[in-house]
Amino acid sequence: MRSMEEARIGVYVCWCGNNIAKMVDVELVTELIGKLPHVVVSKNYKYMCSDPGQELIAEDILEHNLNRVVVAACSPRIHELTFRKVLEKSGLNPYLFEMANIREQDSWVHDNREAATRKAVELVAGAISRVQYHEPLDKRSVGINPATLVIGGGVAGMSAALEVANAGREVYLLEKTEQLGGMVSHFDLTFPYLYDADKMLEVMIRRTINHPHIKVFYNTTISEVHGYIGNFETTIQSDSNQEQTLTFGNIIVATGLRPFDASRVGQYGYGRLPNVITSVEFEDLLRTGQVRTKEGNIPQNIAIIHCVGSRNTEFHEYCSRTCCQVALKFANQLRSLLPDSNIYDLYADMRAFGKGCEELYTATSKKEIIFMMFDQQHELPQIIKSVAPGDPPMLIFFREKISGLGLEIPADMIILMVGMEAHPDVKDIAHAVGISICSNAFFIEKHPKLDPVATTTSGVYIVGNCQGPKGIPDSVAQAKAAAARVLATINQGSVHVEVTTAEVNETLCCGCQTCIMVCPYTAIHYDREKKVSVVNEVLCKGCGTCGSTCPTGAIRSKHFTDQQILSQIDGLMKMALKIE
Amino acid sequence: MEFNPTIVAFLCNWCSYTGADLAGTSRMKYKPNVRVIRVMCSGRVDPTFVYKSFREGADGVLICGCHPGDCHYQEGNYKCLRRFKLMKKYITQMGIEPARLHLEWISASEGKQFAELIDSMTARIKELGPSKIKTVVETLAI
Repeated sequence: MRSMEEARIGVYVCWCGNNIAKMVDVELVTELIGKLPHVVVSKNYKYMCSDPGQELIAEDILEHNLNRVVVAACSPRIHELTFRKVLEKSGLNPYLFEMANIREQDSWVHDNREAATRKAVELVAGAISRVQYHEPLDKRSVGINPATLVIGGGVAGMSAALEVANAGREVYLLEKTEQLGGMVSHFDLTFPYLYDADKMLEVMIRRTINHPHIKVFYNTTISEVHGYIGNFETTIQSDSNQEQTLTFGNIIVATGLRPFDASRVGQYGYGRLPNVITSVEFEDLLRTGQVRTKEGNIPQNIAIIHCVGSRNTEFHEYCSRTCCQVALKFANQLRSLLPDSNIYDLYADMRAFGKGCEELYTATSKKEIIFMMFDQQHELPQIIKSVAPGDPPMLIFFREKISGLGLEIPADMIILMVGMEAHPDVKDIAHAVGISICSNAFFIEKHPKLDPVATTTSGVYIVGNCQGPKGIPDSVAQAKAAAARVLATINQGSVHVEVTTAEVNETLCCGCQTCIMVCPYTAIHYDREKKVSVVNEVLCKGCGTCGSTCPTGAIRSKHFTDQQILSQIDGLMKMALKIE
Repeated sequence: MEFNPTIVAFLCNWCSYTGADLAGTSRMKYKPNVRVIRVMCSGRVDPTFVYKSFREGADGVLICGCHPGDCHYQEGNYKCLRRFKLMKKYITQMGIEPARLHLEWISASEGKQFAELIDSMTARIKELGPSKIKTVVETLAI
């Protein structure tokens, strides 16, 4: 055991407004915890993360000469850094801090106040016991490679690339296909202002490929990225089968989504009925300037069906956000191209939200478009091919939701508003750059509200549809936000990285080299002269697997040492038995 | 008095701890018997952590990591799985029912699965009754 000054601990229990205080008796927690050894002050406050909350800690550190701090509040994934900074400002090493999660893993998940309070006391007791063994750790600073890797050459990827490159920084833009543009290259006009998608894209592509600081790699995918923020490296294989190694400091993932496969919704007949087409195919049709059936006739009756593959638990539970507006755009374009046709819009809910979109809906509804509602969850419309001579080629049967009436609509052409879904290789990309995907296979952001373009992996950002379905303005906004984050990091010149790596106690190391076998990063090598293992702290990512494997206890996982975790177990179990 | 088991859980930071947080942000309700200890990777779960938990009176120990193939550190969860099988054998020899130790893969999006896991494990441990190992050790004064 290392020599240790006597711990003087300050404990702060957060109410989080009512979020914690409603289910946890914060006064009782403060009182019980205050009686534990080494606890010098024990307080509770409405919002510990607020400025006055942080000042409370800073003042106590000075006044009571605290050398350890515990905050019982939300998840450390949200505010651990916030409080570490408070310690740092007050002259304490930021690692002399521990958080107890009494919100996400306590007050929010229980409905028994007594049990939740008891749990909070035990969790805080564990944290107090652990923090006594925390050690000051030095920050490690690494230089930032000023180049940036952007994966995906759609609107989001190009926007991010241009923003970074316009600041004079190098960008490598990887595109899976042979051309830039992504999904938008299929679009005719954009909603709600009916701008020409081609014109917008053309300008963007031209700027991208002619930019002196952007290098585009076509037909290129990514398999594995090594390194960490500031110092990433990957080897790419281009179509000419040439390998090239790229080094960069930040990664912006903009891999987008793909259209839902409409043939999965059997009763819509997609793939069987030639004039049932998807919204993406209809865009291509619009780009020819002529809307005709597969037989080459002018369609008299056209139906648009919303929410294909979306908002239905059988396919995707989520809303794809853009399809309603695209459907309204289609109705407008159809009305202009075919003034005498009958246009039916079958929707589940009309979600024309956002700037200019409700206005588009209102304007469209005045153009003799027949809007009808169906029940997306329980009774999808049925499309059949008519057989009787003289009948229209297809009929749509459905129950109109508001009136409850069973209706029958003739159709020469049916447009399925397909939703968006993840690419099949989304997991490979997540693996390559070390980020997570949610149950809908979208990439997970670091914080849904406060850090929506960052990920839990430092230096990796997610923008555009790969983070969740969205329209062009939102994608561009995210792309530029991520670019700003990247540029800020580059301008700093260096960043602090986690120092919670492993270290070897050479006196205890018996030279068995088991740690070398289990390290996934080849971060440990064997010093033949000294006959001990040596950790390369730059390569070590701090998983701690070597620490739990080492038979002699020679390896310490910094900030997750055996002693720290065993004390945490000790502290919380002793409190658990005491309360009983 | 009704037996209220204490379960010590070791959750990896990237998948399982995030999944447990998601259960919270989604306001799912589960049994208040689990005490979570965060580790960076399930591969960090040293057998002594498990034995120490039982030694100090835990009625159950849960280890959660990323799903196979999803480990943030490539393969720490596989190392955990191998170690888990040995730990099961070991605790059995010490007289602890093997069902008191459980391993489950919980991803960052599986808040619901985490909540259900805690409920089912709490029910299983309740059925087993209190763990006696702490008393045994103290009686024998080992």
